[in-house]
Amino acid sequence: MATNKGTTLAMGGRGHGLKSKAPAMATAGPVSIWMILFVMLPLIYILFISFMTRNTFGGIDYSFTVENYTEMLQPLYLKVIFKSLKMAFVTTVVCLLVGYPLAYWIASKPPKLAAKLLMLVMIPYWTSSLVRLYSLNLLAMPNGFISLALMKLNIIDKPLDILYSDGMVFAGLLVALLPFSVLPLYSSIEKMDRSLIEASKDLGANSFVTFKNITIPQTFPGIVGCIILVFIPALGMYYVPEIMGGGKVMLIGTLVKNQFLVTKNWPFGASLAILLIFITLAILWIYTRFAKLEDLEVC
Amino acid sequence: MNTVKNTRLSKRLKRKRAARIGSNIYATLVFIFIYIPIAMMVLFSFNDQRTNYYWNGFTLDWYEYLFTRSDLWEYLVISLIVALASVILSLIVGVLGAMGLARFEFKLKKLINNSLYIPIVVPEVVLGISMLMLFETCHFPLGLWSIILAHTTFCIPFVIIIMRGRMAGMDMSIEEASQDLGANRIVTFFRVTLPLLVPGILSSAFMAFTLSIDDVIITNFVAGPYATTLPIKILSMVKVGLKPEVNAMTTIMILVLVIGVALNSVFQALLKKRAVTSNKTYF
Amino acid sequence: MKGMKKLVAIAMMVAMVFSFTACGGGGGSAEDNGEVNILMWSNYMADDVVAKFEDETGIKVNFSYMSTSEEAAAKITSGGGDEYDLVMPCDADLTGLINGGYLEEINLDNVPNLENLGEPYKYRKDIDPENKYAIPYLMNFVYVVYNQETCPVEIDEYKDLLDPALKGQIASVTGQRNLFPIALASLGYNPNSTDEDEIKEAYEWLKGYVPNVAGFDSDSAETMLINGVASVGFLFDGQASKGFSNMPEGTLKVAELKDPIQLGVDELVIPAGAKNKENAEAFLNFILDADNMSENLQIMMDQDGQGYACPNQAAVDKMGEDYRTQPALDIPEEMKANYFLQLDVGDAAKVYDKYWTMLMSDEQ
Repeated sequence: MATNKGTTLAMGGRGHGLKSKAPAMATAGPVSIWMILFVMLPLIYILFISFMTRNTFGGIDYSFTVENYTEMLQPLYLKVIFKSLKMAFVTTVVCLLVGYPLAYWIASKPPKLAAKLLMLVMIPYWTSSLVRLYSLNLLAMPNGFISLALMKLNIIDKPLDILYSDGMVFAGLLVALLPFSVLPLYSSIEKMDRSLIEASKDLGANSFVTFKNITIPQTFPGIVGCIILVFIPALGMYYVPEIMGGGKVMLIGTLVKNQFLVTKNWPFGASLAILLIFITLAILWIYTRFAKLEDLEVC
Repeated sequence: MNTVKNTRLSKRLKRKRAARIGSNIYATLVFIFIYIPIAMMVLFSFNDQRTNYYWNGFTLDWYEYLFTRSDLWEYLVISLIVALASVILSLIVGVLGAMGLARFEFKLKKLINNSLYIPIVVPEVVLGISMLMLFETCHFPLGLWSIILAHTTFCIPFVIIIMRGRMAGMDMSIEEASQDLGANRIVTFFRVTLPLLVPGILSSAFMAFTLSIDDVIITNFVAGPYATTLPIKILSMVKVGLKPEVNAMTTIMILVLVIGVALNSVFQALLKKRAVTSNKTYF
Repeated sequence: MKGMKKLVAIAMMVAMVFSFTACGGGGGSAEDNGEVNILMWSNYMADDVVAKFEDETGIKVNFSYMSTSEEAAAKITSGGGDEYDLVMPCDADLTGLINGGYLEEINLDNVPNLENLGEPYKYRKDIDPENKYAIPYLMNFVYVVYNQETCPVEIDEYKDLLDPALKGQIASVTGQRNLFPIALASLGYNPNSTDEDEIKEAYEWLKGYVPNVAGFDSDSAETMLINGVASVGFLFDGQASKGFSNMPEGTLKVAELKDPIQLGVDELVIPAGAKNKENAEAFLNFILDADNMSENLQIMMDQDGQGYACPNQAAVDKMGEDYRTQPALDIPEEMKANYFLQLDVGDAAKVYDKYWTMLMSDEQ
């Protein structure tokens, strides 16, 4: 890719004046305009109110303060942030471990079949997530089907106590975020050169060595995509842990939501949102330091 | 020497078969896992209860209700229009953008690159409120279009990240070859680049559709009169009690989709028998 | 094959463009005075009653639905309210909306049926003393119910909910402004206290409550009662009502509390900049009519199996025995009268939020 980039750049430079900029403008132009208009502009507003104060009735008092930022350094809020990071991390690991083999399996099928299998993976997600989560909870009730079936089979003699357990929270998170891992993994595994695996095995490498030295490096962009697409949404997500965990948890997503909807402390909510953005960018930055992914231009 | 190699080969074949069976079992298990909630939803669409709490006996009443009295369909149509439009828009902007961001250097590149992660991480309520503020400032009327623009905004980053994974390390020398052979950039894009990107585009489209069809919070803020989507309608019904009509409609949606996929397979198999073409089409 | 696909794609695009313009046309007709746009809960008003309004006045009612009332309030404060003529926030959000200037004054000359409201629900001094901004529609009590067969303790005050025998037994609604008030009331303070020390004490009280909670669920807390996960419920009367109708008769009972109970009112307000203000007032007057409201209550009770508590006294008086004797609403008069509202707590909201965050992030 690095060398490729050089040549395409050189190609871009072949024309003169405006003409040489045309391809860059045609491709990167729309997305730049879109992101500036619909993301950066609203964000400037959020950044602006994050330095304001809440007035007595929950409106915004336009007087400058940095209190919102010093406020969040209290151990109380750091704890919430840490908990959210931990949950996002575990979710990412689980999604990667479950999603990778599935994506690999789908990618090994002929393209038409693979497209259909992907669609089958996605179909459940085209239904209301709320109804899906409620269904899972009904399943976990002491008179739900899991307990009834296990009792009928004489495996247990009294109903399972799994409702609102950690296990159900992770089942819910996995069910909610799996496509975010399968899709990027699939699109990158699909293009992998499988003859290299054969070659590696012909040369006597065992499966593990082949997997570690050939498969993983080749599908690394997909793995990065998966980590980004699972970790980042998981960081701000709160409704799954809330519904599946019985609401006894405080994550940063809930905290932000409360500031905007319940406490009506928009400035503090805005500053927490800015913090989330910084955490995300910092993680991506650290990541690029360690993984040397300049080609991916992740950050 | 030869026999050693042969036994090693047959061993590898055996192992390969075992691996194939193993991976099939694994995939089936994962599919079962993600379809468990769906199976429950389907089951409870036949439940004889005004709101689903436990299994209370079989009835088809909710299907009758769905087809005679329910107004859920009109909200489904709105959701589908929004989802399709946002998928198309986000694919156009996202696929082009992924190429542009990967290949060209320009002033704002770093900023745009970083801004991609903002809609993913910022809690929806913040994005919803700030986009509503934007629309209000520009006097943009709230309705279908405002929802579509908002959905496209949170879909674009996902499209770009997936497309990037697809394009990273892809051999672009055929593109150059195509151009060397006299095709212009646009012809090259449609004839050479785009086909290579199809699996990524497919993944992105699925992702964008999924994100759009189930979004509640952002939609809630940027929606206007005449533009209530299905997820908002469903969430709004919770206050009074979710009727199993929602389950019934979901069941029918799933049924249509799954049967569609199955029929498509059968149809294509039949076509293949008649004419063997090497035309690589998806679906 | 490829040509077909293109055709289909083009056809779809055309269809979509058409449907957009069609919908755009619908939105555009908001200019003429023939309609009223309402943002509220789904299935929360009887279709037949709305149809009657349309027939009588020739005004078309167009409903949009909200997913939570807080979001509806936030939508008004971010400037999106002017798209609607009537919005249904909760009474707890009213003070903020009124003080921020987000609401249109209601011309009471157009709403003579206001008189039908029960005394406590009009000209409310804590919220809207001149009744200029909000018309109560329906309301919910937040109280305690228990399963007579499985609940291990007697409950007649909030303090009983702290009994360790109830560990993991309570199905509870959530939210700082639902839980702190019961703690404050139980401690003998004002449920809308703004005193940090009192709020802190309430936090300590709630630390005893949380371990007794089986699950927090503001949307469907009754599920836990019905399925036997919980033996006590701290919930809305609407949820209790579903519990009563899905459990064997005689199992569930409303606890007769000595402490005051919370009352939440769903209000109808006209957002500032509403385009059809007079139609909105006509609608308010129509729905305040005793006959219309009682018909509305009756239809919803027949359809959904629950009759809502209603501030419209004239309408309630017209209701039959079946409405009055519903177990979820048939509670002692003194209990109904001993209620408190969620009032705006001003700057103390930040204090509540801090202690609520603390409560929810404590290890349980």
